[in-house]
Amino acid sequence: MSDLHHRPAPADRPVVLSARSVWKVFGEDEAAFRARPGPNRAPAALERDGLVGAVQEASFDIARGEVFVIMGLSGSGKSTLLRCLTRLIEPTEGEILYHGEDILKLPEKPLAELRRTRMGMVFQHFALLPNRTVLGNIAFPLEVQGMARAEAEARARALVEVVGLSGREDRMPSQLSGGQQQRVGIARSLATDPEFWFLDEPFSALDPLIRADLQAEVLRLQREHQRTAIFVTHDLDEAIRLADRIAIMESGRIVQIGTAEDLVTRPATDYVRRFVAKVPPAKVIRVASLMSAEVMPDAVETVPAASTIAAVAPRLVAGSGPLAVTDASGLPVGCLDRQTALRTLAEGV
Amino acid sequence: MKTTFLATTAAAAALLASQAAAFEPESGETIKLMQADWTSMLVDTEILNIILSTYGYDVEKVIADDSARYPGFENGDLTIALETWQTTQDKAFNASVATGKVLDMGELGPQAREDWWYPAYMEEQCPGLPDWTALKDCAEAFSAPETAPKGRYLGAPVSWGGFDEERIEALDLPFEVVHAGTDAAMFAELKAAYERKAPIILWVYKPHWAPSVYEGSFVEFPAYEDACYSDPSWGVNPDMAYDCGKPQGWIKKMAWAEGEEIWPCAYEITRNFTMDADEVGQLVYEVDVEGRDVDEVAMEWATENESKWREWAACAAD
Amino acid sequence: MADTSPTSPAHQAGRTGAGRYAACAAAVAALFVLALLLPPALRDLPPAAVVPLADWTGDALNWFAREASIAGLPVSGITRAVASAAQWPIEALQVLLADGWAKGAGFNRVQIAPPLSWAGITMAAALLAWRISGRGLGLLTLGAGLYLALFGLWTSAMTTLASVLLCVIAALAIGLGIGIRAYRTPSVEPAVRAVLNVMQTVPIFSYLLPTLLLFGYGPSAALFATVVYALPPMVHATVLALRAVPAETLELAKMSGCSRHQTLWKVELPVAVPRLAIGLNQVVMMTLNMVIIASMIGAGGLGYDVLRALRRLDFGAGFEAGMGIVVLAVVLDRLTQTAARNRAQGRTGLWTRRDSLLALALLAVPTAASLAVPALAAWPKALTLTTAPFWNGAVSVINTHFYDALEAVRASVLIHVMNPLRDGLAALPWLAGVLALALAGWRLGGARLAGLLAGLSLFVVLTGYWQAAMGSVYLTLLAVLLALAVGMPFGIWAAGRPGLRHGIDLVLDTLQTLPTLVYLLPAVMLFRNGDFSALIAIASYAIAPAVRYAMAGMQHVPSERLEAAAMAGCSKWQSFVHVRLPAALPTLLLGVNQTVMMALSMLVIAALVGTRELGQDVFTALSRGETGPGIVAGLCVACIALSVDAILKSGASRAARHQGETHV
Repeated sequence: MSDLHHRPAPADRPVVLSARSVWKVFGEDEAAFRARPGPNRAPAALERDGLVGAVQEASFDIARGEVFVIMGLSGSGKSTLLRCLTRLIEPTEGEILYHGEDILKLPEKPLAELRRTRMGMVFQHFALLPNRTVLGNIAFPLEVQGMARAEAEARARALVEVVGLSGREDRMPSQLSGGQQQRVGIARSLATDPEFWFLDEPFSALDPLIRADLQAEVLRLQREHQRTAIFVTHDLDEAIRLADRIAIMESGRIVQIGTAEDLVTRPATDYVRRFVAKVPPAKVIRVASLMSAEVMPDAVETVPAASTIAAVAPRLVAGSGPLAVTDASGLPVGCLDRQTALRTLAEGV
Repeated sequence: MKTTFLATTAAAAALLASQAAAFEPESGETIKLMQADWTSMLVDTEILNIILSTYGYDVEKVIADDSARYPGFENGDLTIALETWQTTQDKAFNASVATGKVLDMGELGPQAREDWWYPAYMEEQCPGLPDWTALKDCAEAFSAPETAPKGRYLGAPVSWGGFDEERIEALDLPFEVVHAGTDAAMFAELKAAYERKAPIILWVYKPHWAPSVYEGSFVEFPAYEDACYSDPSWGVNPDMAYDCGKPQGWIKKMAWAEGEEIWPCAYEITRNFTMDADEVGQLVYEVDVEGRDVDEVAMEWATENESKWREWAACAAD
Repeated sequence: MADTSPTSPAHQAGRTGAGRYAACAAAVAALFVLALLLPPALRDLPPAAVVPLADWTGDALNWFAREASIAGLPVSGITRAVASAAQWPIEALQVLLADGWAKGAGFNRVQIAPPLSWAGITMAAALLAWRISGRGLGLLTLGAGLYLALFGLWTSAMTTLASVLLCVIAALAIGLGIGIRAYRTPSVEPAVRAVLNVMQTVPIFSYLLPTLLLFGYGPSAALFATVVYALPPMVHATVLALRAVPAETLELAKMSGCSRHQTLWKVELPVAVPRLAIGLNQVVMMTLNMVIIASMIGAGGLGYDVLRALRRLDFGAGFEAGMGIVVLAVVLDRLTQTAARNRAQGRTGLWTRRDSLLALALLAVPTAASLAVPALAAWPKALTLTTAPFWNGAVSVINTHFYDALEAVRASVLIHVMNPLRDGLAALPWLAGVLALALAGWRLGGARLAGLLAGLSLFVVLTGYWQAAMGSVYLTLLAVLLALAVGMPFGIWAAGRPGLRHGIDLVLDTLQTLPTLVYLLPAVMLFRNGDFSALIAIASYAIAPAVRYAMAGMQHVPSERLEAAAMAGCSKWQSFVHVRLPAALPTLLLGVNQTVMMALSMLVIAALVGTRELGQDVFTALSRGETGPGIVAGLCVACIALSVDAILKSGASRAARHQGETHV
């Protein structure tokens, strides 16, 4: 599987969640699928027998603190894959390893315990309990854990503030706007301070302006606590904005896993190519990809290696001559030719 | 203030209880008085309830169906019933008594009568009445559009039986039976017809308030004998049975046999309990026509006739 | 079923409308020819061939109730113990609400404590209504209390309220339990649904007798019968409400690590409350429906007042007591609805501790004062209001002045419509009937439906109730046609006038909770005993669903379609015929279905004015105490109901599919 088009998890961080050849097949005779030899698992062969391969042989590793986006059009199996990772849907075959432990083998109780303490999830349609206040909804996962009421409420209150809903603690969900409702959903998913954060198309039901706000919010909350986030979306812009890596799904298969830059510069299939065709390369190509290794000690202007070309565009236009490139700690690592960068900026405009 | 009041009433209750406690019932078990759904039985059963309760018996009134009562009496679900009408229950009652599990407690007093009945104003249109043969010639006076030229006879609810279809055939009467669904529906039609002085002939029974409120008479059929129902050769039609009127007869009290051992004095009181026809008629009138409460009417009777029922309860006097 | 295969007869026939009608006509003609040629045994089943199911059932039940024992304990002992256990809360409530605490009986009766004063209960209830809903409901509750007190119905109303409260609580708990089980174990669900369908269609009188046999006479038997009667809608509502909980919400429960127990009590039930409230509302309504029948077996209360008043032909008093039931129904309905809505919308904190104290004071002060002021314990008889003379007078006036006109209508309908239909159906040989049903089933839903219908009708034939069943079919058919002819156009008309909605709801609620007998007996005065009165009674009861569903169907036409029609330049009439009507058709068919069910459930009551059909058989069996025939005749009514239901459901789903094809 580890071909060119599947960028592995960053090596400097430990892998915390892995999927190994995960299959989810829908159909009357799901069990019979397991007995099938590999060649008979082609989509056409499955279809002949009334089976649908919603997720086909998904394999990947996710590192601690990474934002892993699963992207695809509706019906591509992205939500099913997310639910396989949390066992909301029972995969037909494969392994799902959390810190090396296969949760598909877990009995009900430890699984519930795992979800209670280490997972949080944000839902597409918010899934707020209509009979509880904002505070009650946020405190719900704590209540389920058996936490004392006062303590649960205190924590919930803190979270209300974090998501910017102060003063609305006692409102009912029906009295909130969609964006506010999803803020409650986000606060609730973080109530137990989970290690793994699952977000299932959390903003698809919201207006574009609110969506941008909440994306920033999600990034902030993820970075502050270095949570491992698995984010499902059908919106490429959203994926580019949030993702460390993106997995693109097409009818049940992951066709490519990579950074936004990978997808744009080295699309694995035609499908991916068409998918990313509208993305201006400057928005995804990073300085590091265009720089040359020669170091210019006397350069006046510097740009960070991790920035996209689009992000440094103002500085490109403002002066002349090459720019020094610095790494995260500010040390020079190379230089960027202004012409090369400007050409990239002009592409796809 | 409330506590004082409660204390006073409690003391009064204790005092009254101690007076009544001069007689101690033989058993604390509950006596279940059967009540069917007609008025006379509601009132006299409530009177018996008042009497037995006054002597400290634990009494409960239980509503049961007229015809469905026998299993209850045979297994002790029901203890005492004051009214069993010969007109409808003759065979069932005798059969039940024959099992030995049920006692015949004697007659209540009034005689039951039920048969074809017509309002007095119909005599003008059918001058031969009350003799039954007159019906042969003036059936049309009693007809309705859907039965014409035959007369329309409003029968009792199907479940009451009564053999009216057979009677019509046996006596060769040009009539059709239309069954009322219920007692109330039957008398509703009488009321409607009476208000308009419209033709009607129907099943009426007494003791009941209707014959005392509305003027009219029973048709005189050949008098009933056992043979009339069982022997075709009897009567005017040599080939068919039922060529006579309906049986008239007693209204009896009945009781669960084993209860005799448990509450002998209560059974004694029940045997002594009698009323005459006028008395029952008056009580029924108070309830059905004046619209008064059964309990109120019964209590009034009990207050007025205290010496009478204290006499019935001689066994409980000392 | 058949429609999935392109060669099915339904499909072929569907292509050519003319061919379909020709085939139908030919089939009917063939049946009649068949009828003439049939040997007598295939026309009327000879008595020897009748399966004595009624006897077996009766014997089995008698044995079960009297002699059987479970694990050494006699069944009768168990049931009686249950009955007396149930008696306890009934009596406790009755002491509190209606009778007060008394010692001794007869001449020695001493009242130790009075019941809660009517003034206290009324004010406390009004306070509750005001707090949870607002001034409107508060005033309504106050008015209801005053009506019951001033018209001298208070004690009876409280007796009724006591049994209604217990029944509702019991039906709620049991219904929820069964519903939750059916929801969680999908394999149980079809069986539960089948039993519920039969339970809902078997007339109440059928199981009154077994109830009496098991639990003895008295209020607890009435309680059990009522609970059995009110249970099905609660179970249905529970299953539907739980199914309607969004999948995401269930996922939330899982992701929060909820146990099964936590999922049910913290997530599923709270989210399902608004839909559960519909079930609760049905339970309240059906319990109050049952009140008058329960009073026949010893529950007392308002139902008994109605019966007593009607027995002495005091229609006015009967009407007043009947309206007492309606008033209770409306208040309970609105209160439960509001409470459920508040809960669903999370409106809490409406009722504070101070309100509780105030309510207690409102209850206690008048009750204590009633010791000194008897009018607070029971409204003095002398001051009791009554409108009875007015109603009685009105009935008499109509009787004396309009009788001839009414009689002419009655006679001509009876002679020209009802009797011919009755005689025609009575002459239909059973074999022809069974074949016709099977054929209809085959065309509508394929072999499975045909088998079901043939089976149901054969049950009726073999148990010997075919003739009686035809009597029921004739009455039901006419009553349904009448109810639809009046109700549907009215509903369609009213759908366009939202302002009328409140009033219409109130009228329909009244029609459905006012005990039928209240208008059945005046009808007898005007239309005499017999089928015509029964027809009027059945139709007036069955009209409510016809109106309701017509209104609902018309209101839920997608507005886009109406806009499309308007843009296409449709006239009002064209838009009605081409857009509204087809879109509403599935709902209208459902309305027809409900109308039929209501009509069938009324057959037994109609028997009270003297019909000759299954309802009468059930009623007669009840009054004669024959368990077996009562149950079997009741099952035959259920067979008719299930047949109609199956036919209309497949018709409705075809209509819905047709809608899908042509309009989406």
